[in-house]
Amino acid sequence: MSKSNTMKLLALFAIASMVLTACGGGGEPAATEPVAGGAKVTSSGFECPEPNPRMEVTSKELNIFVWTEYFPQDMLDCFELVYGIALNRDEYSSNEEMYAKVSAGGSAYDLVQPTDYIIGLMIRQNLLQELDRSKLPNIGNFDEGWMNQDFDPGNKYSVPYLGGTDAIVVNTDTVENIPQSWADLWKPEYAGRMVFIDDSRAVIGLTLLTLGYDVNTTDPAQLEEAKAKLAELVPNIKVFDSDSPKTALIAGDADLGMVWTGEAFIANQENPAIQYIYPTEGPILWQDNWVMLADAAHADAAYAWLNYTMQGDVFWLTIRDFQYTNPNTAALEYAKANYPDVYNAYADSSITNPPAEAVANGHGIKDVGDATPLYDDIWVEVKGQQASADSGPPQFGILALGIVVIGLVAWAVYRWRQNKANAINK
Amino acid sequence: MNPHRRHPFILSSAMLVYVFLYAPILVLILFSFNASRANITFEGFVPKFTDRVVMDGSLVKSSPCGPFHWFCELSKNQDVLEAAGNTLTIAFTSTIISTIIGTMAALALQRYTFRLKPFSQLSLYIPIVIPEIVMGIGILTLFSQLFGLLNNALGLAGDSRLSLGLGTVIVSHIAFSVPFVTLVVQARLQGFDKSYEEAAMDLGANEWTTFRRVTFPMILPGVLSGGLLAFTLSLDDFVITFFTNGPGSTTLPIYVYGLLRRIITPQVNALSTVWILAVFTAVLLLQWIQTREQKL
Amino acid sequence: MLQRLRENKPAQGTLLAAPTLLWMIGLLIIPLLLTSVISFGRRSPDGDVIFTFTLDNYTRLLGYSTDCDIGQASCFNPLYMQILWRSLTLAFNTTVLVIALAYPLAYFIARAHPKRRNTFLFLVLIPLWTNFVIRVYAWMMLLRTQGVINLILGWLAGLFNVPFAPLEMLYTPGAVLVGMVYEFLPFMILPIYTSLEKIDNSLYEAAADLGANAIKTLWRVTLPLSMPGVVAGTILVFIPVMGTFIVSDILGGRQVILVGNLIQRQFLDARDPTFGSAASLILMIMTLIVTYFYTRKFGFGEEIVAA
Repeated sequence: MSKSNTMKLLALFAIASMVLTACGGGGEPAATEPVAGGAKVTSSGFECPEPNPRMEVTSKELNIFVWTEYFPQDMLDCFELVYGIALNRDEYSSNEEMYAKVSAGGSAYDLVQPTDYIIGLMIRQNLLQELDRSKLPNIGNFDEGWMNQDFDPGNKYSVPYLGGTDAIVVNTDTVENIPQSWADLWKPEYAGRMVFIDDSRAVIGLTLLTLGYDVNTTDPAQLEEAKAKLAELVPNIKVFDSDSPKTALIAGDADLGMVWTGEAFIANQENPAIQYIYPTEGPILWQDNWVMLADAAHADAAYAWLNYTMQGDVFWLTIRDFQYTNPNTAALEYAKANYPDVYNAYADSSITNPPAEAVANGHGIKDVGDATPLYDDIWVEVKGQQASADSGPPQFGILALGIVVIGLVAWAVYRWRQNKANAINK
Repeated sequence: MNPHRRHPFILSSAMLVYVFLYAPILVLILFSFNASRANITFEGFVPKFTDRVVMDGSLVKSSPCGPFHWFCELSKNQDVLEAAGNTLTIAFTSTIISTIIGTMAALALQRYTFRLKPFSQLSLYIPIVIPEIVMGIGILTLFSQLFGLLNNALGLAGDSRLSLGLGTVIVSHIAFSVPFVTLVVQARLQGFDKSYEEAAMDLGANEWTTFRRVTFPMILPGVLSGGLLAFTLSLDDFVITFFTNGPGSTTLPIYVYGLLRRIITPQVNALSTVWILAVFTAVLLLQWIQTREQKL
Repeated sequence: MLQRLRENKPAQGTLLAAPTLLWMIGLLIIPLLLTSVISFGRRSPDGDVIFTFTLDNYTRLLGYSTDCDIGQASCFNPLYMQILWRSLTLAFNTTVLVIALAYPLAYFIARAHPKRRNTFLFLVLIPLWTNFVIRVYAWMMLLRTQGVINLILGWLAGLFNVPFAPLEMLYTPGAVLVGMVYEFLPFMILPIYTSLEKIDNSLYEAAADLGANAIKTLWRVTLPLSMPGVVAGTILVFIPVMGTFIVSDILGGRQVILVGNLIQRQFLDARDPTFGSAASLILMIMTLIVTYFYTRKFGFGEEIVAA
């Protein structure tokens, strides 16, 4: 390349990148200009409620590490608009993944959202800091039934976010015999048609239930049995997906499976034939919570976020966008009063509002302490097995082709070497 | 004359391979105009232009941008712009630094003998051949342990705490770019005719002037290729960035991967189309420059 | 001091190479050493590393678990060897297919009119420079049950009145293979092209003069001389395939576990960094061995550079 042209090209690139960086980089708060009256409006037209109460914040940014498909965009935008803080969000799709990144150290997150059972582990590892109740005035908005759970007595470290169940999801149009229990999923007629969430404790747990054991057993013999039983099921599962399992159902890539509340609700909205069934052995109950990391650099912004999202007029957005079981009574009342359609869709659905017997029959996952590696090992080994009886003949064809190619290559190399040797000898 | 040049087998198989290469890309671009938000099948183009977005279930019936609805959504997406900005910043910084130190290293390896030479040569080959995940995990482990130690020892807290972020990503990118730059420049130096330098020295130039006026311009094409290679590697890197990034340092590849983990709307396709167009433009630009070169 | 520096050539060399050397030591050698150290450690119940010296992780990879006393049927668990074998065969199959597809195209470009060669090359570069993840996603759209391929096949079946059930292509090992081939195809085209392009036309003329027909020329002239390119391309394809985890994650439905997936999961899901480090090290050693033998026989050519 001639020097002048290259210089021009480089200059062009440099300018382009500086323009882009100035426009987008550096964490500026989201979307639109404030409306004349001072109310903040997000890019989708949602008018942001004022923080109540408004907290004192000096930090300029907040780093949260959260589940995928869990936050209404309006909630995120509104926080940035009303407080002027840049919100950086990274996502994960399993508790184990979150734990690995947080415990490895070096991460800069302030808030994370563990599910109930892993909080005990995080407390033991001194990863969390105790929450200052005086900075959480809105904590009274939560239903008492969700507070003071045995994974965090007195809510010293955590506040609830959303809860739900894991149960069977079925496309009633494409599946003839609708499964009624976890054990039914082992039936050969479902082979190659199922989507499961990629959650070790939940999947191992449901296997234990089919054997009549407790989902939190630490008995190695029982776990061995579960491993063998699970090894029969895994080849029948077409896809493991904890990011957006509803996609496989809606797209028709899978006909049934095991997913969370919210995914089933949205799938059902897209296609009413997709139904959620609480198995006879009992669904798995869970609750996600906010915790603050021990070395959080922006604690004040974190408290501001927690309080703001706990407000009824903000939290109701989850009832609108990501329908899980909602522990926030203020949000439920606000939705009931102002958006009855949204509220009724939530209240009437057995997905988000499970019937009492299902809840009574349900099982919660708990921390198993030292037995954790046993569960982890089962998961890796069972999933490491090869999937369904796959490409037999094509595999051989390719192998044969490969042998031919290798033969060719070897021959060509032999000739090349010979030519070289001849050339040298001359 | 080559007997195979127009052989129908060669021509047809070559064309088939091109079709194989481009079919997915074309489908990708087509779907970025998809009227269906669920993006499972192609439901046609968004027909009307109105001043509001009107949806019917997951079908977009009309939009201010018409068929370009998803591109408009993309432009309103602050996260994308931030990721793009990050990607370019990282690419530029790591390219400049790795080109400079890589060229220096190439000169050293090609022209001098010193005790650490074999070790350097070997350690430069390793990143080229090992899988990225091995390097990524290693670097992550290093940073985790190192930051943990330093943060405790120096009592850092709050914003001054060392953590994964833009800095760690840039440093890691330099680590895998430098070997490539060095290799390219070394290859260029191998065919280098020393007589030019000797002539310059004979004419009275000192070493620095010789380098500046004779050596450097002659190896410049190699340096630039190396730089271009480093830029491309950094721009497209996923694995190493995946392990070393932190909040606020998301790059475009990581962002696209994140998008795939949520409901996949045609916005992902729109982003892909924009990316492909950018690459296409860059390639056209390069070709234009090359043809201008050849004419000179 | 500067004068002394001027005279001391080796010192100059060291100085020039110093920054790069520091970088490599800091971000390559030390991390690899750390990984090695951790791989000999033991894992605590909470997922931390206990720094001791034990070969447990390596024996586990080979299949021999040291705690056999929890009622297992046998102590030998060939799971990890199976994963390794699966990755090797996938890498091998991918490389073979890629060579089969890349060679005709590279040949075509090399033999094309010099003015048009650049255009053809650039047509190959565009997919290469398009983001990796995007290209994998594109195949999702083609392969899914209601995807484009099934759509076309269904339409064709309709034309000929043939009964048609959509092919289950996505989330199978076949999908992973196709995805890998697609991702790495451009990496083979360029090196083969480079070495083909170097072949002097006069060689072809000589062969023709000596009475060789097309096939013979291909066999005796073209193929042997393009070997360095094929070898370089093989290294550029085989090794990354062994370590990639995205393609098998996205296109395989998280069901196809390759070595790359194993390593990633050990660190992220299974919370066993010691085992993951051991697997990572074994992978690296294997690739280094393969590369060593290859370059010993064929030389580390500029073809890699050209790519």
